[in-house]
Amino acid sequence: MRITDFLDRNAVEADLRASNKPGVLRELTGLILRVKPDLDPNELVETLLQREKLQSTGIGDGVAIPHGKSAAVPEIVACVGRSVGGVDFSSLDGLPTHLFLTLLVPESSHGLHLKALARVSRLLKEPRVRQALLEAEDSAAMYDIIAREDARL
Amino acid sequence: MVDEPNLTAWLLTLGGALLAISVLMSRASGRLGLPTALLFLCMGMLAGEEGLGRIVFDDYQFAFRAGTVALVFILFDGGFNTPLAAVRRGLVPSTVLATVGVAVTALVLALGARLLGLPWMLALLVGAVVSSTDAAAVFSILRSSGLHLKQRVGTILELESGLNDPMAVLLTLAITDQIVGGGPLGWRIVPDVVLQLVIGAAVGIALGRGSRFALRRTRLPAIGLYPVFTLGLALLTFGVATLLGGSGFLAVYLAGMVLGNGALPYHVGIRRVHDGVAWFSQVAMFLMLGLLVTPSRAIDVAGQGIALGLFLFVIARPLAVLPLLLPFRLPWREQFFLCWVGLRGAVPIVLATFPVLAGVPAGRYLFDVVFFVVLVSVLLQGGSVGWLTRKLSLESGAPPPPPAVLEVASAHDLEGELLAFYIGEASAVAGSPLSEVPFPGEAAVVMVVRGRTLIAPRGSTILRPGDHVYVVCTREDRDYVRLIMGQQYEE
Repeated sequence: MRITDFLDRNAVEADLRASNKPGVLRELTGLILRVKPDLDPNELVETLLQREKLQSTGIGDGVAIPHGKSAAVPEIVACVGRSVGGVDFSSLDGLPTHLFLTLLVPESSHGLHLKALARVSRLLKEPRVRQALLEAEDSAAMYDIIAREDARL
Repeated sequence: MVDEPNLTAWLLTLGGALLAISVLMSRASGRLGLPTALLFLCMGMLAGEEGLGRIVFDDYQFAFRAGTVALVFILFDGGFNTPLAAVRRGLVPSTVLATVGVAVTALVLALGARLLGLPWMLALLVGAVVSSTDAAAVFSILRSSGLHLKQRVGTILELESGLNDPMAVLLTLAITDQIVGGGPLGWRIVPDVVLQLVIGAAVGIALGRGSRFALRRTRLPAIGLYPVFTLGLALLTFGVATLLGGSGFLAVYLAGMVLGNGALPYHVGIRRVHDGVAWFSQVAMFLMLGLLVTPSRAIDVAGQGIALGLFLFVIARPLAVLPLLLPFRLPWREQFFLCWVGLRGAVPIVLATFPVLAGVPAGRYLFDVVFFVVLVSVLLQGGSVGWLTRKLSLESGAPPPPPAVLEVASAHDLEGELLAFYIGEASAVAGSPLSEVPFPGEAAVVMVVRGRTLIAPRGSTILRPGDHVYVVCTREDRDYVRLIMGQQYEE
């Protein structure tokens, strides 16, 4: 499995505007809608919020991986957003979050969901990758970094 | 005349019965939504000179000393259980509330007291004595009604109350000195306070770090000795910081925080002991303060005390807190909650014994007034915390406590961690058999608790919403494991 299998070049945003958690989730689902325009944004936000209610997916080091299963999602889809200023995502280490990789999967696909999460978090665990993504010029550069580093995993 | 072995036996019988009965009754008061602090105070009064017990206790010196020891243990325990991540999140707003907020509250309240006819210095003293909040009270109320506060509000309240006792102590001591020693109260107090806070912080962090190092280096011959060391450290920190001219309470709180957030031998065991000692301190302190009050004398100032209490919660606290919170752009519900729930606890009553000791004229009068302010707070604010939390929908979706707890105790720094999780509907692993959960090489589920059944995990075990799951993993993989499992129990 490759991240590029479910992450579209157009679903990457180098400059998120929102300054709080609900705002960021809304903006991230907006990115998903760029590639899956038929989906209902409210339902996607709700799915992500349900997971955030358990505990923040802001796992620290400036990274958050919001995710969820939804019956409305026909196949696995992802998006990536970067907040230059950082957002209070109530992350586990209490620090602001800059990089967001969102994953949405169909209701039934447990194994796929977990595999994708494992792959994504392995990628973002590399300090080198995080640094490169933070310094990348634009969304195209961010996508290229992800594609390149993902192939190396 | 009672002979010695019997005198001691009598004291122990009375003290023991008071403690045991009060604790047994705490469950009932929790059900009624009444703060347990109130129950303990009333039990103390009931046992007192004018109650059923007829115990005459009028030793302000002893009360001050014992109260200080109790506060040292309570603050140390509070620091020990405050995770660093929470500190990072709430540090700035709570520090502002704990310093400037305390001073403003004290000033505004002094104004109110002046309006009630108190002379200026005494009015300032009342303001200073009741200026700090008590989060332990808030949390014990919430816990007994099964509620959890949203993270940010809870953190701010808890940190504020941990950090603001030093301020109240400093102000009280300074004003008492002025009254007894004479001379006007100058701006000199400001650099003084800053210096005391800085010294207190330095001593607390240094001793916390030093003893963490010592504990990890030295192997003690018995497990039971570890908490003895940390209890000793709490007392030592308070003493050293105070002798060096710093704030002892701040030092103790920080020393506890430094120690609690590091790897320690027998961490779990040490925490248990401190938890117990903090509870004991809490109960014993309120009982003692209840004994100390003379109801027939206190009733004379009931009107003034209650008026001041109302003034504090309706005017002084909001007036001090709201402008200070403005820059942090909290949602209005949270601001409102923080304004209302500035619960007062034992600290003001203990502090109020100090002017009596120092020979402030009208010291006993002040003590009685303060007693009523705290009573109003405990009844009014304490009584409404649960209701307000629900009304403002500020409860967090904290999971139900696990029916069984698994812990690892060790004298060594272990490679690897045991984490406990609650599986929610939205957890990524919900519905998956363990064989399909991609755990990193060194991680595995070691136990699943479902209802009252302990399940030995196999590849075919399917994780269901409502399960409590224990995972062993390396520190490195912890974040990933948290991500896929969903909701971790706070340690």
